[in-house]
Amino acid sequence: MKRRIIFAHSLLVAAVFFLGCSGASFIPKFLSRTVEHMSEPRQSVPNKITSPILANVGLSVLWIGHATALIQIGDRVFLTDPMFTNTAGMVSGRVIEPGVDPASISRVDYTLISHTHFDHFSYGSLDQLPKNGALLLPLGALPYTPEFGFRETREMKPWEVLEEGNVKITAVPVKHFSGRYGFDIPWMTDRGYTGYVIEYRGKTVFVSGDTGYDQDIFKEIGRRFTIDVAFLPIAPIEPREFMQRVHTDPKEALQIFEDLGARLMIPIHHRTFYQGLEPRITYAQELLEQLVAERGLQQKVYIVKIGEQRIFE
Amino acid sequence: MNRIVVIIALSCIVLIPDNVLGQQQAIEAGNKTTTWLILQAIPSFSWTTFPSQTNFTFEWEATPVLYSFGMTKLVSPWHSFFVEPPARFTGSIELNVSGQVYTSSIGTTHLAYSGQLLGHIPLAERGEHFGINIGVAAYRLNNDTRIFAVGGLWTLFGFLHGNVKYAPDGDTWMTSLELRFF
Repeated sequence: MKRRIIFAHSLLVAAVFFLGCSGASFIPKFLSRTVEHMSEPRQSVPNKITSPILANVGLSVLWIGHATALIQIGDRVFLTDPMFTNTAGMVSGRVIEPGVDPASISRVDYTLISHTHFDHFSYGSLDQLPKNGALLLPLGALPYTPEFGFRETREMKPWEVLEEGNVKITAVPVKHFSGRYGFDIPWMTDRGYTGYVIEYRGKTVFVSGDTGYDQDIFKEIGRRFTIDVAFLPIAPIEPREFMQRVHTDPKEALQIFEDLGARLMIPIHHRTFYQGLEPRITYAQELLEQLVAERGLQQKVYIVKIGEQRIFE
Repeated sequence: MNRIVVIIALSCIVLIPDNVLGQQQAIEAGNKTTTWLILQAIPSFSWTTFPSQTNFTFEWEATPVLYSFGMTKLVSPWHSFFVEPPARFTGSIELNVSGQVYTSSIGTTHLAYSGQLLGHIPLAERGEHFGINIGVAAYRLNNDTRIFAVGGLWTLFGFLHGNVKYAPDGDTWMTSLELRFF
């Protein structure tokens, strides 16, 4: 009996060791910071737009916060990584409310999910959206996908193209990782994450989701597409030795922008959740503003506010 | 205990790749099997209250069959042993087997085993944040089979279940804190 209990305890120790060897030793610090910020009041977004879908527009973009952007090209509406809930994964609390009330989004033709992490594939947020359109997912995401009732649910592998009418959406490779619960990372290293290129009515928009920097990938995307607007993540930044593999900082995001040869860049994935060990929530934006000023990129990099809608044509 | 070993061995046969799989698939299946075995080895904890005594119990569970009714229709609703958390917490019915080790003896033994038929009903965020369990369990305790009604709650992505089980025949209560990963 004693030997059996010792055997069981040995397995338990092995399990704890296995979980602790993920290379993410900053997690205790991150959790402690998350707890610190739990009691902070959530910032509000003044003068929220109540009718974000426009009757007649060439290209409009509205940053709702984090990686969520409402993109309209002509009569088609695209929504990226919808995140409207107060927490991501039960733990990380929102610093600022969503820039748009989901009830004011009357239709979405294509909802694009970049990967399966809680802050990008939010079940509670998808439940708040209209279901008239298609839900596009990276290859490998179906085992994480409840039945939401969308017109169509579809996985896309890298370079796969969806064409419906004149809308063309291409899943493109990025450098990240997937899984959702930690222990599933080992079999989700080569799938479960993607970027997308949207082409419609002569406009081309690139959304990367989360990504680290990889020159070959982004130069190849730039070679294949003439991109008008690129949504690129600029945070979390610290600890850099861990984050660099999977998250670009402002400098790397600008390098991707250059590799893509895109006309405009809109930074995303900052200002909404504490996800790294940066000194303050505005840190990534401040770094980007400094780089943009130094390089004279003010006409090419639009640092939009949460809830701000920009109409290009 | 022998039955637990048999269950784990059978699940290995189900999960370990055969030679028709490609190398990448074999690596993936190997990763899944290793992770499954390690996490299944983490015990759940129960307190069993008999009319005459209260026992602390380690418990190991596995799911031979689960039917999920909350997932996209593009994946099979049937799952066996390797049950990814959403398949359970988005709404499901499962047949679950478990083995228990009692830290003090019940009659002439420290060991027991059970089969449970459980329904999982999601309540918040498709069940990822919160939901409830209901069902029935048959426990083989000291050469006596007792039928328990089961009710409980789960949270934390379906990893943490708190269940209460009651067998009117024998007036036995179980309170369990269960860790479920697959």
